Amino acid sequence: MSEHIENQLRRALRRIEAPPGFTDRVMRALPESAPQASVAVVSPSRPRPRAAVWWRLSTPAALAASFIVAIVVGQHMGTERTKREQRAGLAASRELMQALRVTSKKLDLAYQAVKTPPETADVTEENRS
Amino acid sequence: MSPQSATDDTAASLRLARGGNATAFADLVRMNQASVYSIGYRMLGRRDAAEDLAQEVFLQLYRKLASIESLEHLGFWLRRVAANLAIDWLRRATYSATQPLDAAAEPADPRAEGDPLMTRALARLLGELAPAARAVMVLRYQEDRDVAEIAAALDMPVNTVKSHIKRSLTALRGKMIGAQLVTAEGLSEESP
Repeated sequence: MSEHIENQLRRALRRIEAPPGFTDRVMRALPESAPQASVAVVSPSRPRPRAAVWWRLSTPAALAASFIVAIVVGQHMGTERTKREQRAGLAASRELMQALRVTSKKLDLAYQAVKTPPETADVTEENRS
Repeated sequence: MSPQSATDDTAASLRLARGGNATAFADLVRMNQASVYSIGYRMLGRRDAAEDLAQEVFLQLYRKLASIESLEHLGFWLRRVAANLAIDWLRRATYSATQPLDAAAEPADPRAEGDPLMTRALARLLGELAPAARAVMVLRYQEDRDVAEIAAALDMPVNTVKSHIKRSLTALRGKMIGAQLVTAEGLSEESP
């Protein structure tokens, strides 16, 4: 009994014949229609599969469209906000420059007043009296 | 009939069957039924279950005939569907996973060599393996397929197939020694 287990398995697992009448029973169980032809013929009108495909794709398409719209709207709003901030910044800058100009004029006037000679002031007083 | 003419006949039957010829399809069934039925019998362990499975496989073949490209493809397709369907039935507990082969029901093979008691015991012990391992062993030792084809048929990595074969051989050897069918010295083992 020094035989290889694989050889014993091959003998043990030898094919056995199907029971008599098996082929006939298979043939009786076949559907009436012929098997699908080897060259696939696509029918021009198959509404159900198309509807099914559309239905399957509609949700992802809607999600994708919503996503794109959200991105575009977000970008637009971001651009508008930036423009608004730029406009506000420019206005503030203009106001600041105006304020600086006014302040500078006032300072000039004050300086001139401080620098005016006192004699002129006395003459003025004499003329009044 | 020479092997070449048999192959030519099968190829002609396949061509005709794809064109809708029922007689040619019956010829294809006749030529492949032993393989498919035997896979079902070794996997499920019962003749009635094996016939149910073989019928289901040939019905699926009838529906998918247009996709069969060649004789090699036909053989591969039948083995693949039969083995996977059997695994599926076993996992869904349609049939008992550990149902031993009914040795009395198995017809005696006049060509059988060696010890018939040993042969029957091995077939029975095979029925105690897990479904996937059993399918691997049936495709390897009944259908004489190589590990690459078995891996493709069962959607398994090649190394998993090799591992199944090695572990199953060790388990079978252990069971045979345990059942005192052989001695440890009397049963050599070889990795695939």
